[in-house]
Amino acid sequence: MGDISRDAAGAKLKPVLELVNAAIARPEEPELALMSDVQFRVEAGDFSVVAGLQGSGKTILLEVAAGLQPLLRGHLRLFGETVTRAEGDSFRSIRRRIGVVFEGSGRLFQRLTVEENVSLPLRYHQDVELEAVATEIGEVMEVCGIGHLVGIPASRLARGWQLRVALARALALKPELLLLDNPLAGLDSVHTLWWRTFLLDLVRGHPYFGGVARTLVVMCDDLRPWMRLGKRFSLVSEGRWRTLGDQAAVLEDADPIVRALLLEGF
Amino acid sequence: METPPPRVSSDTILLLNDRRQSWFGALIIFLGLSWLQWMQTVRRIGAFTLITVGVVVTKWGVAARVIRPEIREQITRCGLRLFPTVAFLGFALGFVIIGQTVALLSKVGATNLSGVLMVTVVVRELGPLTAALLVLGRVGTAAVIELGTARALGEVEALEALGIDPIHYLVVPRFLGLTVSIFCLAVYLILAALGSGWIFGFLQDLPMKPAEYFGQIAAALRWEDFLLLTLKTLAYGSLLSLIVCYHGLAQPLRLEEVSRATARTVAQAVVGCVLVDGVFIVLYLLL
Repeated sequence: MGDISRDAAGAKLKPVLELVNAAIARPEEPELALMSDVQFRVEAGDFSVVAGLQGSGKTILLEVAAGLQPLLRGHLRLFGETVTRAEGDSFRSIRRRIGVVFEGSGRLFQRLTVEENVSLPLRYHQDVELEAVATEIGEVMEVCGIGHLVGIPASRLARGWQLRVALARALALKPELLLLDNPLAGLDSVHTLWWRTFLLDLVRGHPYFGGVARTLVVMCDDLRPWMRLGKRFSLVSEGRWRTLGDQAAVLEDADPIVRALLLEGF
Repeated sequence: METPPPRVSSDTILLLNDRRQSWFGALIIFLGLSWLQWMQTVRRIGAFTLITVGVVVTKWGVAARVIRPEIREQITRCGLRLFPTVAFLGFALGFVIIGQTVALLSKVGATNLSGVLMVTVVVRELGPLTAALLVLGRVGTAAVIELGTARALGEVEALEALGIDPIHYLVVPRFLGLTVSIFCLAVYLILAALGSGWIFGFLQDLPMKPAEYFGQIAAALRWEDFLLLTLKTLAYGSLLSLIVCYHGLAQPLRLEEVSRATARTVAQAVVGCVLVDGVFIVLYLLL
């Protein structure tokens, strides 16, 4: 496995994602801070887990981290570059280095088929026909276990499969950083097991990426499935950000929200 | 938590509920705020237009193998599939205009004005406007629902996340497709109306040979008619597509707001078309 957190000389690389003194707001209330003083730092090769109850602002935080929503205050740095205005073609080139898997059905393009969804980013950026990227698309679909879904409209799929298509679409551009919004929510045990295994492979270095480890950020509302996978944990609760630390620190944390997210007492 | 700034809507309610206001004062306030809101919408649609035109120009040829099929899809959906309806409407329009006027013209012995009448009514006014309103009703409303639903379901953010410009992928094909389609449909509708006008006249024993009828039309047509017909239909097409895309995409929507956005689109597009029509009437008079 290649260590992408250090350069050839062994020096520590810059963080791939950094939110400094950040305040975020919902798009419908752009002046009202939903969360303040966010200090989020993700280094190359990290598996960072951000936990919080439903409605705590994790999805907005993920969208802000991906540059999809503007910051109310503070700074966003992606791959060492400060993003002041998350618009324009220069920022879109940075965005191509980030894969995003949204919650629920993955925000697939409902009018397109599975392979049209997966191939769209490649076709758009390479300006080619579907046939020209058939091999690459076939490969990423096989990696995500959706090779048998070719030709099926995305809207007809069950949620678990839609989420895998969303993952394949996000991986098609071979991003360095993958942001996942609550990917295990509502999945059956087979899908859950597949996702845990696959994400662990990604962070260790999946053959699809030539064995190079990817950086992962996962938002979740249940810490249990992520305790063995995550390296760093953070909590969003009541408009505040708190860095929890590693797995041992989470298990020792006395915060009732953390205990609830570990489902203690059930 | 910070206190949000006061909004126009809450200000409106406060002002209108102020019992110290007379009914006349409340009416003035209501009209003033409505005017401001209308001006704000015009400004936003104007800004959206500039952004779209900017993307059309700067990204001409970018991702052509993805965007061109989308444009073709819009032309098929709007121009091709609406052709039978447009042909039917064109025939009906020709029948109605000639049917209503031929008896009157015969009475005053002015059947030689049939061609001029058709050119003035069909080519200059009803043809382009009917084609535009038909496209608004059949394709425009569907497009607002399609775009509004995509926006509400977060597909726009998904495109952004993939580094795809939503204006380029979603708006440009509709802008170009609807504009070209309305021009073509207006031409088809005019041809159908002119043809059916003669058929109706023939059935009514109008003493006019086809050569005479079409000769009158050709004589009545001026070069300005071709130029202004082209400009007018392009103006209708671009205006409709931009209003449709603005209401579908340019603001965050929830699913339950899509129907209201569709109703707003129809109202604003109709007003916009009538205003454009007014501008072209002035141009006809000036030329």
